[in-house]
Amino acid sequence: MLRRLLPVPALFLALGMFAVPLLTPESADAHGPTRQKITLTAEVAAAPEEVWAAIGNFQDMSWHPAVHETTGDGGNEIDATRVLTLGEAGGPTISEVLYKYNSDKMTYSYRITDVKVEVLPVTNYSSHLTVKPGKNGGSLVEWRGAFYRGYPNNDPPENLNDEAAIAAVSAVYKAGLDALEARFSAN
Amino acid sequence: MRLKPASLQTRAAPVLTPGFCRTSGRPLRLRFLWLAFVTATGCLPAFAPAIAGSFAFVTNQNSSDLSVLDLEQRLELRRIPVPGKPAGVAVAPGLGAFYTVSPDSKTVRAFSLITCEEIASVKLPGGPTGIAVDPVSKRVFVSDWYNARIFVLHGSDLKWVSDLPAGSAPAGLVVSADGSWLASADRDADQISIFDLDSMTLKARIDVGVRPFGLNLDPEGRLHVANVGTDTVTVVDPITAEVLGTVSVGARPYGVAFAGGKGFTTDQYADTVSIYSLETLESLGKIDVGEYPEGIGTAINGELLVSTNWFSNTVSLIDPHEQVVLGEIETGDGPRAFGHFILETPTGERPCAPD
Repeated sequence: MLRRLLPVPALFLALGMFAVPLLTPESADAHGPTRQKITLTAEVAAAPEEVWAAIGNFQDMSWHPAVHETTGDGGNEIDATRVLTLGEAGGPTISEVLYKYNSDKMTYSYRITDVKVEVLPVTNYSSHLTVKPGKNGGSLVEWRGAFYRGYPNNDPPENLNDEAAIAAVSAVYKAGLDALEARFSAN
Repeated sequence: MRLKPASLQTRAAPVLTPGFCRTSGRPLRLRFLWLAFVTATGCLPAFAPAIAGSFAFVTNQNSSDLSVLDLEQRLELRRIPVPGKPAGVAVAPGLGAFYTVSPDSKTVRAFSLITCEEIASVKLPGGPTGIAVDPVSKRVFVSDWYNARIFVLHGSDLKWVSDLPAGSAPAGLVVSADGSWLASADRDADQISIFDLDSMTLKARIDVGVRPFGLNLDPEGRLHVANVGTDTVTVVDPITAEVLGTVSVGARPYGVAFAGGKGFTTDQYADTVSIYSLETLESLGKIDVGEYPEGIGTAINGELLVSTNWFSNTVSLIDPHEQVVLGEIETGDGPRAFGHFILETPTGERPCAPD
């Protein structure tokens, strides 16, 4: 089911095509009734240490093809922040904060603090990125997300419902994992 | 399947008749021996009454079902389909039933505790979310997240009879043990509302922390409200409507439960259960549990804490005295258990028509 995805290359930028319905002014933390979750994994043909070296720095998301630039503060300390600029200079942004980081276990957890639903149709989003030992000395990269749909009120329009949120986050994860697979298979 | 209210009444006392596999008439004092016997023979001994049963009814929101867990034997007894992404749950032994709320399909259902078959359901408008049962008047209360009200339903057939006016985005509900009042956590109003259940009127509104979601009653009858936005618990006297204190807990507290003179919260973003003293309201530390802990309840006469892990698809079984995790039981996908989800049967009856 997780493979039922949006056309991937367009990625975040395609999400900009979502028409934004008139949202009732509400608390920024309002959300829909059912939190969604997804887990995507990829087998990567490189040792866990090597993969972690590529993706384990919270301040550098350049391994993801949709990310044009990462700027931030606080390194890999808890409460460090980063702003991802998508696509090109001046593109849409996602602001995130780090809330767990463990280089021994090769995992970090972060939340989105600010994103427009036209960019990513979710609210209350949190995520974990983990590198585990894989087959034949390779790695298993696991990317997990928990989030509510983009529309906080009852009876959401199709472009901001639960399915749209799952499809959008899945597309982001798949693009990143595909890029890692390709990068290390070329070695 | 629908049963008439009268039919529910006649079946309101779930009793599994012991004695069909007799051995000795002498009570066994040691629980593990009893468990070994039950496990080995698959039947309850004639002397079962001294041994209590403890069960959890865990709503699995993402897989749209409910896990019935035997907490003594640490296994899943049954998986019951509950369409519409259920989260809210209320176990009501006095009514011989448990209730679920599915916010996606806006449906409240009643199930028999004896058979675990559905006995009534109702589709409601708005955003049905939290649920609590008044064991005295046998009414069921369901919060309407989107319309600042509480639905009042008949416990037997779930007929919608009236509304109570809550604050913005009511979520968790709790009814006093004597059925005299109801409290709602009004999330977007940063308050709780208290209603008199004799006159069915609003009695008090009390400001608490930011975005209260879950709440529970401690053994002394005080209300503990978990504030998601401020990572605190506000303790309230529901009779005088006074705030008695505030406790700092882990990130995004969701549920509250009590055992051994302590309070425990599930901290969604910290993957911990926070502990505090009920006497001093001071923090006493944290226990690591699974990911996204949500519902929490006390079982086995205060000897066990059960917390659900929404992301890990497990419940954690915690010794509240030693403050360690004893084990886990697997559930369906996305266990929430938002509400009173524990069933204790003092004489050992098992739910869901066991063999």
